[in-house]
Amino acid sequence: MTMSDRRDPAALKKRVETLEQQAEEAQRAIDELRSRDALKTQFLSNISHDLRTPLAAIITHAEILRDGMLGELNQKQRDSVTGIVNGGQQLLDMIDEILTYVRSASDQVSLVRTEFSLAEVADQLRVLNQALAAKKRLTIERLNGDDLPPVYADRDKIKHVLGNLIGNAIKFTNDGGRIWIAFSRRGADGEEVCVEVGDTGRGIAPNHHELVFREFAQVDASPSRPHHGTGLGLAIARKLVELHSGAIWVESELGKGSRFFFTLPLNPPRD
Amino acid sequence: MSARILIVEDSPLVTDAFRVLFTEAGYEVDAAATVAEAIERGSSDPFDIMLLDISLPDGSGLEIMNALRERNSLPRATLAMTGHSDAKSRRSCLDAGCADVLLKPVPIGELLRRIEHLLA
Repeated sequence: MTMSDRRDPAALKKRVETLEQQAEEAQRAIDELRSRDALKTQFLSNISHDLRTPLAAIITHAEILRDGMLGELNQKQRDSVTGIVNGGQQLLDMIDEILTYVRSASDQVSLVRTEFSLAEVADQLRVLNQALAAKKRLTIERLNGDDLPPVYADRDKIKHVLGNLIGNAIKFTNDGGRIWIAFSRRGADGEEVCVEVGDTGRGIAPNHHELVFREFAQVDASPSRPHHGTGLGLAIARKLVELHSGAIWVESELGKGSRFFFTLPLNPPRD
Repeated sequence: MSARILIVEDSPLVTDAFRVLFTEAGYEVDAAATVAEAIERGSSDPFDIMLLDISLPDGSGLEIMNALRERNSLPRATLAMTGHSDAKSRRSCLDAGCADVLLKPVPIGELLRRIEHLLA
């Protein structure tokens, strides 16, 4: 309120009216943006689902050919058809990532909590990623965690997060490098467990530490970038960790590897 | 006589792929694209295996299970297929009596193994 308003009630009234009008306009703009965002989410969800169907048909047909069900193929033919299957599978994985993201972003995700061992999940993922890591002569170690108490969380979703971090570590670490998974207790009474996935890869500049967790963000977004993907993996990981009331972050410098961390409360309220 | 499989799937592309697969694997194949069609096909002569897409244009695949159960024409085993895996929809499929819930597309080797196992 200015001095002139105090002296002039009419001016004051007019000012209040203007402010009210502006507030209304702002609210309308917010509502409009919300409804457009919901439309976008719905569109992404529909299109991802619709893309899956013809892709499923392509992959199934290619597998029928590859497995010789319509007659034996020679080696070159088999290699080519295997390429169709693998390419289709990769495309499918990307579509699924978009679907997962859309669901987690639009609060369509609910947690199904059970008690499980993080170390066991880590070991399963090490086995799953062994072939991929071996191609680049990478080692994946679990440094500790045998004595960790079980967590009460959504096993599939935590596996997704850890799998994503390990997948990224493999993708961004040069041949012959090291990847490790480590656990520690945090908080006043160690009421949080902190999971670390570290690598000796190329690292991330400090000014990109926030950016990597943003949806559709890739530090190198040029069409010629060496690593393709949806740019949603870490955004999904963040959503899933936050759904568990945890936090996720990265410590890294260019050329010095990366260490990704996420926390989970050990004793969340039980329903 | 070879075992009979009913494919319930609204995408003709996917139905065609399955038709080739199961015919080559030595099964007798029929297909339905809607809930109504599946109930009609399924109740005339019970199938050994039903491969069931859960989301169909005129309703849920699980309605087919209920309708066939009422008519005493449930196939020996039903495999549900969904485009996305979440614990809740998985649960409702198993509760409705499906033998298993598979995420589309199922690798064909795995699919054929499961069907063989269900028929054994």
